[in-house]
Amino acid sequence: MLLPAHDYVKPRTLEEGLGVLSRSGAAVRLLGGGTDVTFNMRNRLMQPAVLLSIRELPELLGVEEWPDGSLRIGAACRLADLAAHQAVNSRHPALAAAFKAVASSHVRNMATLGGNLNLDTRCWYANQTQEWRAAKGGCLKTGVDACHVVASVKTCVAINNADTPPALIALDATITLASAGGRRTLRLADYYRADGVTHTVRRTDEVLTEVIVPPTPDRLVFIKDTARLGIDFAYGTIAARRAADGRTRLVLGSLGPAPVVLRRAAVIATQRGLADTHIEEAAEAAREDLGVVSNLYTPAAYKRDLARELVRRALTALRDMP
Amino acid sequence: MSAKPGEFTVIGRRQPRLDGFEKVSGRAVYTDDIVLPGMLHGRILRSPHPRARIVSIDASRALALPGVKAVISSRDFPDVLFSERQPLFARDTANYIGEEVAAVAAVDAITAEEALHLIDVTWEPLPAATTLREALRNGAPRIHDWAPGNVGPTHEKDYGDPDLGFAESDLVVEDQFRTPMQHNTLTEFHVALADWSKPEKLTVWTPTQSAPMYQQNLAKGLGLTESQVRIVYNNIGGAFTGRGRPKPHHFIAALLSRRTGRPVKIRAAGDEEFIMFRGSGETQYRFRTGVTRDGRIKAIEMDITFDSGGHAEWVMILWLPAAVMNWLYHAKGSRYRGRFILTNSVPKGSHHGGIFGRISAGWMQHMTRVAEAIGMDPAEFHLLNAMDPGDTGLDGTHFASCGLKECIRAVVERSGWKQKYGKLPRYRGIGIGIGAQASGSKGAANDTSAAMVKVDGDGLVTLFTGIPDMGQGSHTVMSMIAAEVLGIEPADVRIVAGDSDVVPFDWGAFSQRGTFMTGNAVKNAAEDARKQLAAVAAQLFGVPESELRFGARRVFPASSPQKALSFAQLVGKTFNSPEGRYVMGRGFFNSPRAFGPLACSFGAQVAEVEVDPATGAVKVLKVTAAHDIGRALNPLGVEGQLDGQVFSGMSQVLYEECKTDDGQVLNPSRLEYKLPRTWELPAVEYILVETIDPYGPFGAKEVGEGPIVVTMAAIASAVANALGVGMVEEIPMTPWRVRAVLDRMPG
Repeated sequence: MLLPAHDYVKPRTLEEGLGVLSRSGAAVRLLGGGTDVTFNMRNRLMQPAVLLSIRELPELLGVEEWPDGSLRIGAACRLADLAAHQAVNSRHPALAAAFKAVASSHVRNMATLGGNLNLDTRCWYANQTQEWRAAKGGCLKTGVDACHVVASVKTCVAINNADTPPALIALDATITLASAGGRRTLRLADYYRADGVTHTVRRTDEVLTEVIVPPTPDRLVFIKDTARLGIDFAYGTIAARRAADGRTRLVLGSLGPAPVVLRRAAVIATQRGLADTHIEEAAEAAREDLGVVSNLYTPAAYKRDLARELVRRALTALRDMP
Repeated sequence: MSAKPGEFTVIGRRQPRLDGFEKVSGRAVYTDDIVLPGMLHGRILRSPHPRARIVSIDASRALALPGVKAVISSRDFPDVLFSERQPLFARDTANYIGEEVAAVAAVDAITAEEALHLIDVTWEPLPAATTLREALRNGAPRIHDWAPGNVGPTHEKDYGDPDLGFAESDLVVEDQFRTPMQHNTLTEFHVALADWSKPEKLTVWTPTQSAPMYQQNLAKGLGLTESQVRIVYNNIGGAFTGRGRPKPHHFIAALLSRRTGRPVKIRAAGDEEFIMFRGSGETQYRFRTGVTRDGRIKAIEMDITFDSGGHAEWVMILWLPAAVMNWLYHAKGSRYRGRFILTNSVPKGSHHGGIFGRISAGWMQHMTRVAEAIGMDPAEFHLLNAMDPGDTGLDGTHFASCGLKECIRAVVERSGWKQKYGKLPRYRGIGIGIGAQASGSKGAANDTSAAMVKVDGDGLVTLFTGIPDMGQGSHTVMSMIAAEVLGIEPADVRIVAGDSDVVPFDWGAFSQRGTFMTGNAVKNAAEDARKQLAAVAAQLFGVPESELRFGARRVFPASSPQKALSFAQLVGKTFNSPEGRYVMGRGFFNSPRAFGPLACSFGAQVAEVEVDPATGAVKVLKVTAAHDIGRALNPLGVEGQLDGQVFSGMSQVLYEECKTDDGQVLNPSRLEYKLPRTWELPAVEYILVETIDPYGPFGAKEVGEGPIVVTMAAIASAVANALGVGMVEEIPMTPWRVRAVLDRMPG
């Protein structure tokens, strides 16, 4: 499969790039490391008229430690650099682990944080060659009113398979979206939509420029369950955070079209503590919390089992952390 | 039983691969590296429907695209057959998603790809049956007129007296098992470069396991004689039974070349690799075994239903199990029932381990269950019933050497079986499997290997062989065999291979025949050359030929080593003599048997696994593997083969599965078709059992696919043991399948 014809634009400044976006945002695909976009283009899943490379924009680079203890991470930082970054590792080792969990070292040498946060959703029926999809007749993701995973749905169930969002959501990270019209800041937790087609609230004229991670003394764990070490998309991920007063937050990834913040399970862990029996209760609740899941990549029943086990493991790890 | 000190100078040495540096440094040339002047790029238009009538094909828009040199379809070549009853291009009806409909040759790959979209095919979709279940149900559409009920070829065979065997049994145990569609996942994609610009000669550059098989098939399909077809193969990125026969793209590249008068390369693009692959299909098994109360196997029965896909292409896999099931145990009789079921899916062939790896994953679980049903330790049960040297299977295969019992005893001892079997904590499991594998086999073909050895004036030797090295290390072993005979070093032997116009006939690298068959041919050729040199040396030294010793690049009389000539000196004296003899050795080998293998390897493995009951994930902790390989000509290579096969066996049992929907593969990529990586490899302990086979070259037998069959058995049995169920009735034993087994268990 060869890349479809397209223009390649590499602006020198963010403003120059935002200008391009404001004029023709819908025809533009932002290019970070290109580890996902180029594959999707080969498969004609994306056929942008313009590829806009943002990987070397100075505004999108660098990790800063702010006086209040926050970390400001540029969206074009490469995952390999972030996984090895001293400040990231010393403040949030579990976040560093989430960066390192993405794909393989080869991919992390190219892939950017912004790219992973915006990683397109994935599905057996969409992430195929054009010819393959044509044989099935297309689906919601390719503009046809049909879903081959769940026949009755009107909203795409493709999976958000990115490894980095759960930990950042658990850490209360915020992101900045820049456009020619200005800047807006929002919680990463509010960035995702449970719709495989339009899976973030980013407008086509916007660029995700940075991630701000506020300081916290809380414990954080990140766990990724996958078929193969060192390369694969996750079957499921979890980030779990616990404050000294017991307040607990649980965020699941890769089990649906958006990361899932587990409310009931977190309440149980917060209010009752982390004795084995309460961990079991929370884990059971997670199965319910998960909502509707599909048989995509793994069977739905397995996804529920896995959610329960991830909660169990994460809470146990939080409890047993030194 | 290892070699006595001084018995050999090269054989038994841990010889690193002679092509290793070339490969790891990226210098090795593979087919896709070859670019010929004027070469065109071909692409194939494939059916998007599991079953549909072709109403019309209109290529005019494609032909109008600048750079397109030819578009061909069944309209151009209606009579070219790919296999019996199977046109190369779908003629009236396409029978599976991916069936070849038309093909394009263009000046570059992107033009060829674009042209595919400009071929207008009008389809009339027809009802399809894409799985065994759909094809076998009442009222299923009949896929071919010649196959009522969609039942294709069948094979039924009784050996000995199975009815008497079952009658004499105290207990009969029956089990069912299923294996999925699996892909060979070759490192090197399918590729063919064909030049048929002159009508009397077709040259095809392509990776292959057997140049003669490709010559025969292409010649028959394209109306040439066999030697008019020249097959050229360079380095080969794996085969795993996936390159035994040419595929449609070989024929299509040739026809495009004929049509355009230019060389045409077709390389499988991305998911095409999974669309036309011809690996193993879904298969259902029923095993039945009759046994006496004291543990003697009396009767063995196997009933296998194969999904053969849209055509019955490779019937060999249908009849192969009938014989092989007789090679492990003594029994009164055995019964085999096999049938091909046609479905609207890609035609099937085989996967690494042949059909017997997959059978074994179920059969050995079943045999463990038989043993446990009569209250016997499965290892003792295997031992009690196992073949001995000198035995003959019910099918007539004779085992001149057989280390099966030695292998079983070795793995039992080294794995700590007695301390572990039945005593492990919950969710830890241990399993044992045994197996036998042919070292080459007569049947469908004559199974000949031939070789030539050319001795040059500087003492370097060129070995001409038709054995492909697709990663198994055959060329290194052949160099060692020639070097051992001639008393030189493996590095002194240059291999010329990979060109059917140049090398002598060799049936190829499958049926685990390389070391045994080609090895014998190379040994014979090298001995022929040595005999010619010895005649001269005997005169020079004034001793009988039997007194001469060849070794360490020297030739000398046994009684006076100080008189030694270097090998190069002897060659010089032979050539620069009044006779002027130029030494070329010839040799070939074939089995004196009319049918079946001349030797079998045997093996036993014990696997230990751990199951995570919460996620269903299986971790293989350790594999203890003992194999009777006759003699380890290159122990390093043998261990490499064992590593690879333990890896692949584990992969097939725990990971690999083509998921399908309406005949379409849902996971047609290395990302979604999940092969494990080296991280997932368990610890492997090797025990090489050397039984020195009387027919093998220096006593060697195969190690090409014997181990994987046993690995699959041992790991599958260990998982069943860990779960505390008699059988896990399906592979791969993925986390969700294991979870489902746990959910079904009481308590």
